[in-house]
Amino acid sequence: MLNLPRWQTIAIIVITALAGLLALPNLLPNSIDNHLPAWYQASRINLGLDLRGGAYFLLEADLRGVMNERLTNLSDSVRGEMRKQQVAFKSVDVEAGRAVVLVLRDEAQRAKAIEGIRGLDPSLTIAGTGDTVRVGYADVDMVRKRKEVIDQSIEILRRRVDETGTIEPTIVRQGDDRILLQVPGIKDTTELKRKINQTAKLTFHLVDESVAATGQNVPAALPPTTFLVPTREGMQSLRAADPKKFDEIQSANPRLTPEQICRRYQPQCLPVFKRVVVGGEDLDDAKSTFEGQQNGGRPIISFSFNGAGGRAFCAATRANIGKRLAIQLDSEIISAPVVQSAICGGSGIITGQFTTQQTQEQALLLRSGALPATLTIIEERTVGADLGADAIHSGTVAALVGTAFVILFMLISYGPVFGGFASLAMFVNMLLVFAGMSVLGASLTLPGIAGLVLTVGMSVDSNVLIYERVREERANGRSPFSALATGYERALTAVIDSNLTALIAGVLLFGFGAGPIRGFATSLTLGLLTHLFTATIFTRMTLSIWVRWRRPTELPI
Amino acid sequence: MLWRAHHLINRKTTFDFLGKRRVALIASTVINILSIVGVFTFGLNFGIDFEGGIAIQVRAKQGDIHLENLRATTGGLGVGEVALQEFGDKKSALIRVQRQDGSNECVAHADHVMKKRAGGGWAVMPGAADTGDVTFTSPSTLDSTGWRDAVSTVGLTLQDRQLPRANTNTATIDMTHEQRAEWCQQVAIKVVEDAIGGEYELRGTESVGPKIGEELMHSGIIAVLATLGAICVYVWVRFEWQFGVAALIALLHDVISTIGLFVILHLDFSLTALAAVLTIAGYSINDTVVIFDRVRENMRRYRKMSLIDLLNLSINETLARTLMTSGTVFVAVLALVLFGGPVLYSFSVAMLWGVIVGAYSSVWVASACLVYMKVRPEQLVGKAEDEKAKA
Repeated sequence: MLNLPRWQTIAIIVITALAGLLALPNLLPNSIDNHLPAWYQASRINLGLDLRGGAYFLLEADLRGVMNERLTNLSDSVRGEMRKQQVAFKSVDVEAGRAVVLVLRDEAQRAKAIEGIRGLDPSLTIAGTGDTVRVGYADVDMVRKRKEVIDQSIEILRRRVDETGTIEPTIVRQGDDRILLQVPGIKDTTELKRKINQTAKLTFHLVDESVAATGQNVPAALPPTTFLVPTREGMQSLRAADPKKFDEIQSANPRLTPEQICRRYQPQCLPVFKRVVVGGEDLDDAKSTFEGQQNGGRPIISFSFNGAGGRAFCAATRANIGKRLAIQLDSEIISAPVVQSAICGGSGIITGQFTTQQTQEQALLLRSGALPATLTIIEERTVGADLGADAIHSGTVAALVGTAFVILFMLISYGPVFGGFASLAMFVNMLLVFAGMSVLGASLTLPGIAGLVLTVGMSVDSNVLIYERVREERANGRSPFSALATGYERALTAVIDSNLTALIAGVLLFGFGAGPIRGFATSLTLGLLTHLFTATIFTRMTLSIWVRWRRPTELPI
Repeated sequence: MLWRAHHLINRKTTFDFLGKRRVALIASTVINILSIVGVFTFGLNFGIDFEGGIAIQVRAKQGDIHLENLRATTGGLGVGEVALQEFGDKKSALIRVQRQDGSNECVAHADHVMKKRAGGGWAVMPGAADTGDVTFTSPSTLDSTGWRDAVSTVGLTLQDRQLPRANTNTATIDMTHEQRAEWCQQVAIKVVEDAIGGEYELRGTESVGPKIGEELMHSGIIAVLATLGAICVYVWVRFEWQFGVAALIALLHDVISTIGLFVILHLDFSLTALAAVLTIAGYSINDTVVIFDRVRENMRRYRKMSLIDLLNLSINETLARTLMTSGTVFVAVLALVLFGGPVLYSFSVAMLWGVIVGAYSSVWVASACLVYMKVRPEQLVGKAEDEKAKA
């Protein structure tokens, strides 16, 4: 029997209507589309880079380099610690990518050496035999660090590429050590690469308290060792008060020095000594945490230096307790905390009236002084906007002509009634695919359009299977009604079989899914899935409605 | 007259398909052997996706493109083999530059690019011989921003630790040989850009480094094998092992002959071509399954019929379906070939071939295999009755 329970018929109609509603914004011309509410417009399918133009980069992070650098810093700390503990050693070497090897002069001091190293960082793995001590980072720690490096690189890339927040780049991790960066709408990648490379420069300076004590924001004369730098709050209130001036500063060419900004625009500024206490290149890490290691405490930022940075920082803080130490990022001072005590452990904290969000941001700013790892471009694709327009044009023409061919073919082969049903099922299938792509947030690419055209061709296949079987049953002498029901039923296994085998290929293709193939795999797989719905239950519904309405004595097939 | 259903295929055909199985077997074997020999003697025309290298789509700013002039210009750049082809229309061309290997010659190219783009005083030199290091020398003292901007004109990133020491003008970027090879793709693009940028508009560039190319090749082969294996297992589970093997042989036939087509027509074998191969595998099995389905049904119905007659009957009964389903996809793909544009051309042509060869192989390869494997109807009938008993 072809008849469906009433609730199923209703469900099919509701699903189809919903799909139509979701797919509609894609079919309307722009002029109408622009009047729709924003949330509804959002169900438009994104166009892939090959259609809208833009750049695609696959970047590989040099994690081995990061690990070696980390080990080198560790070897500095080990060396320093041994001197402090007065343990005599022959050598401290870095075994690339694995460990720091310490060779002692006197085996007897091994326990003391290990003790000292453990004091540096309890999570280190330390193994000692004879006069040799091998120090390395634990595997868990390495994995965490690798993840951190990639996450950090992604954050930094996002900040740099999308300064204005309007470019909508796609930046995602891929595999263990890769980052996929897609930037729509740009043609000149030189500028983009420059942005990727540009880094914020981080430095620590002492505040010239003798000048600050005068209370003037921008004093007319300064000692030669001192210069003025605007504070972050100062710049932000300037931006709030006068956005035009702010833009002027940002776009000034050549770039204004911090002092020029202070003198011309008079934001809140601080006089600091020109001498750099420590530079950002010596900063190992910065993270947002809480005072007293628990969530009840105030949010603070903790940071750590490498060996050289730690020593310089120690000396400077010891000599300047009670004075302010300014942290300058690019041409702004992000904060100037008061030195409470000598900070000699190679790490310190920044306290202040921060919210958790602020400490997280600041920690990120500190960390993002430089990209944590060298990024190599291993794949690059750029598509000009006009090339994208060409692709849209040829894709659309091919899709429309393909659909027309198929409809014509079906109408000629099976007549207006059954050919019409097949075309209707195909049309509904297309609606479902479009709706599915909207919901999944998939983008439509040129290979994706090819996948759609194939779906058009394949989605009438099941109607063909059913119709041919109906013809056969009719020829075998069944009544029209019985021929329809039996034909449908017997063709169903073949319909499902053929869909499933094609789905196997589609899913594996998706798993393989490198770059341009993904779009093809998405639309094809989605098309096959929705087709399982239209081929079986939707076609059955149309046939059953038609039979009940016309009560045919002969099938026009 | 047009406004009614047409039986494009005669309802009752009685072709002796399997009587000609020997002819088909010889033809298929020859085609497949030729395909394999072709791949090994002429080689596949791999796209940059798999081989690595650079592809640049250009369009003449004025008039038609002169491939000869373009060839003369790009051939003398010293970036290795350059291949040109018309792309889409008479004004456009596709320039393919071979994969760069990261030799010192590439550093010399970077030096030229740097002098042209950042200023004559710049110098780029290879570093220590056993590394991939590259050394930059600036004409004057620069701050870190200046250095980064300058170095990025040749597509490199400069880490803080790589900045020159105070009062010097030399920075060394440490790289492995592999990293340098990846970077050299960028350099080669810039070399070509500088050489032809005056007369031609660069509409799109693609560069794939050596590493990713090898990876794609590797995972592509795995994807094809996995697809074939999965489909074979599916057919085996649905039918019998003989059907699974027959389906696998038919699929191999389709895949190998499609690859042969790429050799003969000298089509670009890129990622989309691989997608075509996988899709053909997934699609061509459809007809095979439809025929197998009918074979099983008929085996239950006509227990006394000889295997060849039974297969012939099943193929004839399903012939209209086989041809009609292939027909719908054929016309859709035909639209892609005619109007899909140059990017999809290889893909569409391969698909068109796949539709035809898929229909052929379900009849003459998959079904013929069943004859040679001597499928015994009792096996299927027995199994079906078991299932019934369980239910």
